[in-house]
Amino acid sequence: MKFSSIGYLIKEGFRSIKQNGFMSVASILVLVSCLLLSGAAYLVFVNVEAGFDYAYDQNKAIVWAVETADDQALNVLENNLRGMNNVQDVFFRSKEDTLANYAGVVGDATFESLQGEDNPMLDGFEVTFKDLALFDETIQLIESLENVDDISYAEDVADTLVVIRQTVLTIAAWIILMLLLVSLFIISNTIKLTVYSRRLEIGIMKSVGATKMFIRFPFMVEGMVLGFAAGLLSFGVLYFVYTYLISSLSLGFITLANLSTIGMLGMPVWAELLVCFLLIGTLTGMLGSRHAIGRYLKEESGVNID
Amino acid sequence: MIEFRGVHKTYDNGTKALKDVNINIDKGEFVFIVGASGAGKSTFLKLIMREEVPNAGEVIVNGYKLSKLKRREIPYLRRTMGIVFQDFRLIPTMTVFDNVAFAMRVTGASKREVRKRVPYILGLVGLQNKARNFPQELSGGEQQRVSLARALVNNPSLIIADEPTGNIDPEMSYEIMELLTEINRRGTTILVVTHEHDLVQAFSRRVIVIDDGTVVSDVAGTAEPPAASAPSAGNAVVADVLDTIQDVPTEKESDTVDAVLADIIGRNGGDEQ
Repeated sequence: MKFSSIGYLIKEGFRSIKQNGFMSVASILVLVSCLLLSGAAYLVFVNVEAGFDYAYDQNKAIVWAVETADDQALNVLENNLRGMNNVQDVFFRSKEDTLANYAGVVGDATFESLQGEDNPMLDGFEVTFKDLALFDETIQLIESLENVDDISYAEDVADTLVVIRQTVLTIAAWIILMLLLVSLFIISNTIKLTVYSRRLEIGIMKSVGATKMFIRFPFMVEGMVLGFAAGLLSFGVLYFVYTYLISSLSLGFITLANLSTIGMLGMPVWAELLVCFLLIGTLTGMLGSRHAIGRYLKEESGVNID
Repeated sequence: MIEFRGVHKTYDNGTKALKDVNINIDKGEFVFIVGASGAGKSTFLKLIMREEVPNAGEVIVNGYKLSKLKRREIPYLRRTMGIVFQDFRLIPTMTVFDNVAFAMRVTGASKREVRKRVPYILGLVGLQNKARNFPQELSGGEQQRVSLARALVNNPSLIIADEPTGNIDPEMSYEIMELLTEINRRGTTILVVTHEHDLVQAFSRRVIVIDDGTVVSDVAGTAEPPAASAPSAGNAVVADVLDTIQDVPTEKESDTVDAVLADIIGRNGGDEQ
């Protein structure tokens, strides 16, 4: 294929889109629905991810001091805790504070009877950690400190969070993968229809000596343009629907702009979505049409003298 | 030019289409291939175009040994020949101009070359005034002339016409045959598959008869160009076009195609639109 042909071939691709107007629009719409669902799955994933990050931030343990610990012992313990590498913050929680949490839970009379010397609660420290990965080691270190009676922490919650996160990631990834395959199939089918409706033309092209690339190029242009358009449209729709949902329904989703640092590619999420949509659309368009025209391209076939 | 040496072709379904065919067609010949339907004529053409490969034997076309031809070389073989189909095979969504230009663009011709060459070729077949028309606005004979123009536009050394007159009325058939004769006179090898005996007899050229996959007769032609005796010789348009063709140098020889073109349009144009 000569370079001088490229302009002509691109024009041919657009001509074909116009000529197959209805099918072009239909395939763009189907592709848009696939991309929208994929994008929605991705956004749900990003939101869940962000939610988990928030939950992790809340993760802390309460270190209970032994009942016999006096003020000085408590001070020593607090300093020891603060001195640990993985400890972000330490906050004293007196037994009175702890008991106060139970006001209204137990009967008033009972509550009154537990005040003062009869308080069954323990003094303690709320400890937040820097790195959750070091959670177990840090807990062991705290247990070895003097005057520590017990440690309360949500180990199970942390484990559950990890499992849920993994599940959501897997499901989102599968949904996206399936929809991509569906998109590929659909765009390939659309191009197949246009290839079929132009098989006479292809036969003539072959009879006058067109190379494979020359025949394939306009169809690939067609697929890529359809894919690109679908990508652009999907992004627009997703962006506005998402923004609308956040602003009008207060669903607690995170705004796309605020998700700026959690994108998988290290870009702002909305930019990432746009780039992905355009890339996916264009690539599925190109590969789909390549696949669609495959069997019409065997040199031996299709000139069709009969 | 075209050589068949002991060619056998059997299709996958067991049909023996050609059996030990030996044919030699020289450059510049005008040959009719005649035979009943199913005799093997189409297979013969398919082998020449490398749309099929023989089971045994060798086919040589325009210097290409087809058994040695790589797949990606097939398009280049096909550019050395022009093909005219019985059903014209014009693209309905393209104008006459584009239908002819299309064959040039396939070869990577530039816009400038296309703009120069296509009107010239349309002039040769007497259709310079129909350039902007669509195929369905033309008569059968005119459509076949477009198809002929498309076959000619890349200046092939061989024209293959598969039942070129099958779908047009007899008078038009003679026009087409006369055009082919004229093209042949200028050195292009012509291969016409037909079963119209009237035509074959009127033009008395070499006739190869294929029956049941074998060549049963191969008779050399007796006549030089029969244009003068053809029934439609009185047809003004054809006479004019033939006249014109004789005066027009081939593109290779001429560096003033535009001038020639203007001349053709000047003589033939203006009366049809």
